[in-house]
Amino acid sequence: MTERPILLVEDNPDDVLLTVRAFTKNRIRNEVVVAIDGEQALQRLLPADGEPLRPALILLDIKLPKIDGLEVLRRIRDHERTRNLPVVVLTTSNEERDIVASYRLGANSFVRKPVVFEEFVSAVNTLGIYWLLVNEPAPSG
Amino acid sequence: MRRYRRPHRSRSHWWGDGEVDSAVSTGTRPPVRVGHEQLMALIDHTSAVIYMRDVDGRYLLVNREYERLFNLHREDIVGLTDHDLFEAPIADEFRANDLAAIARGVPLQVEEQAPAEDGLHTYVTVKFPLHDAGGHAYAICGISTDITARKRAEEEVRRLNDELELRVRQRTAELEASTRELDAFAYSVSHDLRAPLRSLEGFSQVLLEDYAGDLDEDAQGYLRRIQANTGRMAQMIDDLLHLSRATRTQLHRERTDLSALAREVAAEVAATEPARTVGWEIADGLVASGDPHLIRLVLQNLLGNAWKFTANVDHPVITVGIRPQSGIDVFEVRDNGAGFDMAYADKMFDPFQRLHSAAEFEGTGIGLAIVHRIVTRHGGRIVAEGAVGQGAAFRFSLTPAPADWELR
Repeated sequence: MTERPILLVEDNPDDVLLTVRAFTKNRIRNEVVVAIDGEQALQRLLPADGEPLRPALILLDIKLPKIDGLEVLRRIRDHERTRNLPVVVLTTSNEERDIVASYRLGANSFVRKPVVFEEFVSAVNTLGIYWLLVNEPAPSG
Repeated sequence: MRRYRRPHRSRSHWWGDGEVDSAVSTGTRPPVRVGHEQLMALIDHTSAVIYMRDVDGRYLLVNREYERLFNLHREDIVGLTDHDLFEAPIADEFRANDLAAIARGVPLQVEEQAPAEDGLHTYVTVKFPLHDAGGHAYAICGISTDITARKRAEEEVRRLNDELELRVRQRTAELEASTRELDAFAYSVSHDLRAPLRSLEGFSQVLLEDYAGDLDEDAQGYLRRIQANTGRMAQMIDDLLHLSRATRTQLHRERTDLSALAREVAAEVAATEPARTVGWEIADGLVASGDPHLIRLVLQNLLGNAWKFTANVDHPVITVGIRPQSGIDVFEVRDNGAGFDMAYADKMFDPFQRLHSAAEFEGTGIGLAIVHRIVTRHGGRIVAEGAVGQGAAFRFSLTPAPADWELR
């Protein structure tokens, strides 16, 4: 597996715990960097100074404090350096407008978090296999 | 009035000054002479207001309706102008129309307003000049017909229309506002209510996995109960969202192949329990005018129910067909499953109404409420028919029907 970290943009600490647990259960050993709002996520990806984070995968919640997930996604796609990063929107909603907006803004995938944890573990497994193993990332990403 | 009423045929004494104004030929009979008095009689017996003024605007003649209307005697009017009789703006308008008719030389039709006891009245007035032998206008005649009643009726219609339009706009705005509220509510429900459920479910699972050694059978059973109920609540939230979506999404009516939709949905439903065998009888050529997405939801619920309630039957059969009633297409989904007590037939379309225990058949009781909402939004109706142990039938229409039409 690639050594680059996974950026988890998630404000709910319970969801962070459960997501990390799901990674562990699926033997995904990449470092998990957590940003608890949109602002933090953008600071990690596009810092004013210092080394930018270059994650293998971004798991992005939509409903976030300060800057919401869709805005984060827009800025990721707007910026040369982050344009090609794989972004999976991982959220509670399956509202059509959120799905449509996510894809319009260039999300690579949209996954609704299942309530049942075992289903969530299985979804994370699929995501991990696909984005960290099967998928060949863009050279600049 | 009486003085003008003369016998028609009488030829004696009936033109006062002997002046002959015109003669009318009556075929073989000698021509009847019509004089000033006869013409006055004529213009005095019309409901129109008739008057004649000279080119300077001084009255030469008015008819009786004019006298009655303005409560004046003709002797008092002759020689006066409109500016002596009416307020300046009204008199100005009359004068302007007089001059326009003189200038044009031919009859002119205008709308004028004049004061009456109950306010301004509106008249349609025809004005035309009289010319002397030299072709010079020497007088102007006017015939004014009161159209106030018509005008007021038109005004009333316009006012009612405006009012109606305003009310429609208000109602639409209110409806839009409440739809927006519902939308915001549904959106926040979908986001905020599910998150805590994930924690409940997830950490129950963590306990079961990591602390199984510390928990006896009972404790583990309780955790599973928490998980089961969490899942149930998540399902209820989803179903409520479906119900709200069925209400707030825009309806796009189009020609919909109901047979094809039903087959698709049947295949989806059957795929949930591949081990079960159910006889599907879906009629060909079922076509409805409706929103295909919403009709799909109707079929998902009705066929899903039929699938669920035929679980304990030896030879389950689910049919989808059509039974037109008085020219209106009525679609039917029928099964030979558990059925229901007709005493509760009305209740079953209410949200969260369940006629079976959760142990018997799973469900949140929202499905038929969604179906009902969608059918109603199409202007259609739905009825349920069944008996315990003898299956159920749901019949629905998707088009508005006359008020006295009854779905059987």
